[in-house]
Amino acid sequence: MADHNDPNAVNSAFSDVDVSAADLYDLFGFPSADTAGGEKVVIALTMASVPNTGVFDSDMLYRVRMSAAPRATWPGGEEESLDTLLKYFGAVKEKYFGALHSAEIRVTVDAGGQAHLAFLRFPGGDFNLSIATNQVQTTETPNGHSIKAYIGGREEGFFNDLPGFFRSINYAPQYYNVPHSMTEARELPIPKTLLELEGNDLFNFDPATPQWGKTMKKDLPPGPWTWKGDKFKKDADGNFRFVYDGEDARAGKNCNALIFEIPLSFITEDTAKNRIVNTWGESWVLKAAHKVEAIPDEPFWHQHPWALLDGSASDAQLKQYKLVDTDGLPFADAALSEREDNRQLGANNFWLAPHFIKRLAHLGWGFGPSITALGLKTCFDHDNSPVSVLKTYSTAVEAFPRTKKTLFQKLNMPDNSWNPKGMDIPLRRPFEIFVPNVCAIDMDTTGTWPFGRRPEDQVATRFLALFLDMDAELNGKRYNVDTLGDQALWNSAPIVPKTPPNPLKNDKEFLDRFPYLAEPW
Amino acid sequence: MTAYQRDLEKIDRDLESLEQPVGTEQTVRRVCRLYQRAALTARLDEFAAAEAALAEGFAKVGPWADLCLVKANLAMKFHRLGEAKRALGMAPGLAKSFPGRVVLADIDMQEGRYKQAREACEAMIAEDRTWDNLARLAYWESKFGEMTEAERIYLEAEDELTAKEMRGYTWVELQLGLLDLRAGRYQDAEEHYRRAGAAYTGYWLVDDHMAELLGTVGKYEEAIRLYERVLEETPRPELQQAFGELYVAMGEPRAAEVWFDRALEGFLKASDNGGVHYYHHLVDFYSDVRQDAPRAVEWALKDCELRTNYATQAALGWALFRNGRFRKAEEMMDQALASGVRDAHLFAKAATVKAAAGQAVAFDALSRRAFALNPHHDGFHVHRA
Repeated sequence: MADHNDPNAVNSAFSDVDVSAADLYDLFGFPSADTAGGEKVVIALTMASVPNTGVFDSDMLYRVRMSAAPRATWPGGEEESLDTLLKYFGAVKEKYFGALHSAEIRVTVDAGGQAHLAFLRFPGGDFNLSIATNQVQTTETPNGHSIKAYIGGREEGFFNDLPGFFRSINYAPQYYNVPHSMTEARELPIPKTLLELEGNDLFNFDPATPQWGKTMKKDLPPGPWTWKGDKFKKDADGNFRFVYDGEDARAGKNCNALIFEIPLSFITEDTAKNRIVNTWGESWVLKAAHKVEAIPDEPFWHQHPWALLDGSASDAQLKQYKLVDTDGLPFADAALSEREDNRQLGANNFWLAPHFIKRLAHLGWGFGPSITALGLKTCFDHDNSPVSVLKTYSTAVEAFPRTKKTLFQKLNMPDNSWNPKGMDIPLRRPFEIFVPNVCAIDMDTTGTWPFGRRPEDQVATRFLALFLDMDAELNGKRYNVDTLGDQALWNSAPIVPKTPPNPLKNDKEFLDRFPYLAEPW
Repeated sequence: MTAYQRDLEKIDRDLESLEQPVGTEQTVRRVCRLYQRAALTARLDEFAAAEAALAEGFAKVGPWADLCLVKANLAMKFHRLGEAKRALGMAPGLAKSFPGRVVLADIDMQEGRYKQAREACEAMIAEDRTWDNLARLAYWESKFGEMTEAERIYLEAEDELTAKEMRGYTWVELQLGLLDLRAGRYQDAEEHYRRAGAAYTGYWLVDDHMAELLGTVGKYEEAIRLYERVLEETPRPELQQAFGELYVAMGEPRAAEVWFDRALEGFLKASDNGGVHYYHHLVDFYSDVRQDAPRAVEWALKDCELRTNYATQAALGWALFRNGRFRKAEEMMDQALASGVRDAHLFAKAATVKAAAGQAVAFDALSRRAFALNPHHDGFHVHRA
């Protein structure tokens, strides 16, 4: 019979990609304001609300991984070179991120809505816990710690002008119907830019279709998808056109979330020394073969409640799943890893370090000239180019001189509120932030990005600030991670629309108490 | 509701919302959904509907790459290799894209360029380790007699499949079962088929395979029940022929004739409508079911002209043998054997042809090889292309 060894009939290349419960959205992590009984850290991993808000896919397994460590610092006096940078990455890797050293909370939710949590490799020993979903639960651990957990639906806490970001990197699938087979038609070969390019008909705002890239797409025209111009676009009043409009693309949306408030002393025995909680999340989907084994039996957890107390058994359990997504830092995937499946490495993204350098240089040639054109100072060396440039690098060696300052400059904070104890904590630098791909929560700070990530942080705008020259000043104040979120800057800039690139706050107020993310809509 | 029914229902829901497609996205999605439905049911009328929608889609949005890819895949299902190649050439860059290269590898296999097919497959796996390309490589190994390797690679393919791809898992389990069936390991085959059925419930393709196994081991009544169910879902002529052959194995030739009549009608109707995908079945039908050697040769020549591979060469050789043209038959069988393919049925038929040509030593060697691969190769079996 004519099935001709044709598995494409099954795995059609032409189907749409459904929203998946494996799609991780965000990882938030910050020290809890509640210090009664000792310091605690809040970690929230969010994901697509599939099949529904507050209802989890029982084929999924999520891991919230964490590893406490001392604050890592750049060895003073050493040369800021590519070689020392790569050595630094290697040292950090060896010291903190051996995959087996990290503790984790492993979560599955069964078809009945009961969440099953396994706490693995914490100093106090392993234990399991089953809790109801969509309720705040407080649990005493075997060694006497109190942990809060919420596994359920919440309001989507990410607020950002996603179409604007995609316009800035000429990401065609946001604006065009792109055939699945045309992988070359993703980021089109046009300079990345914060300001519209004169004659860039492929991405410039079209007043006739204001919802383009938001709720509607156009058909991708035949190539070549290039840009031949030599300047930024200006209107009759001499204003540039911003690629962002500041609208919240995630307004009114929900997500599912795993939220924990965990005593620091549960994570590490040496809370005085290990002040940084590095955390990241992973989504895993059950392999088909093990789904068959589970039909119609109860999930693994129910059958073998004590198996997870044995490390080898828990790894055997993980072998039944396939890793799909990782999430540590905002924009590490979208901006730097280019969403590639094989770059979902989480904390172990050290081998991507050279790629990050090249990618940062590629973005710098786009964003740097845009920043200069606005009359601001950029840290990226773009040879005073009057307009964004499309440039790619084949080696990190070639890219490094351009990005050196971008990688090494200290990211100023808008004020001292991030450091409430007034401690001698060095400002963070991009190379420390992006490799490894973890949310590094500094327990002596408020945990605002890049010292962690608080829900109210406008991380998309802060990401753009990487390309500002942190030595420069605006109106007597040093550039900082929130400079581009300052409405006054845009009011005086020759640009329309006069808005920060991303909304300044979420469309729904966050809670000031656990579980912090707002109730779902 | 079975998993199979759930999938059909989901597709139907999508199709309902796409009755009047607006714009490229909806047009393409409608064609894809119709093609997916046809691939799931394997009903010829549904493939025809998908093909009609495809033509409408081209008229509406032009040679959109995804439409071209559907066209290429559809053409492959019906052995229209030239059309598949042309479809890949309709959209710039499509032939060099990953899914385009997959189709080209399949064309290599169909046109007997086995080495190239394998190399292309290996290159794609190195690039992106997808389960379907692993399955392709496993199939290649199985054709060349490397059954242990084939099984190993099929298992690797399974390991890439998640709970969201249970139909794919079922398909691979069926291939693993076939490896066992063809080697006479019936219990192992049954185990794979049962897993396949549990993984994706209600799928006629599992019943089809299980029916073959039951027929092979002489559990005829159960096989009949399954075939009836399969044919109700997908009345394809090759399945009707298989059902007829089951009745022959049971010693009920009169019951068989009814199904042979229907099968032949279906084969000829498809050919009258310009279809080429049943040439191979017509050769088989006129060679063995209702022996009409000249007609068998005629269809075999047409099929060889379309795609020259070990299967079409062997089929022509067998038709020539039935026609009493032993020397020419031997020549064709030698060509088929030269492919390097190791298949019990190929060896058995080649042995018979060698015997007719007076090659006793070759007859003996080939018979032994057929027996070594499958000691029960001469029993009831389904002709799976």
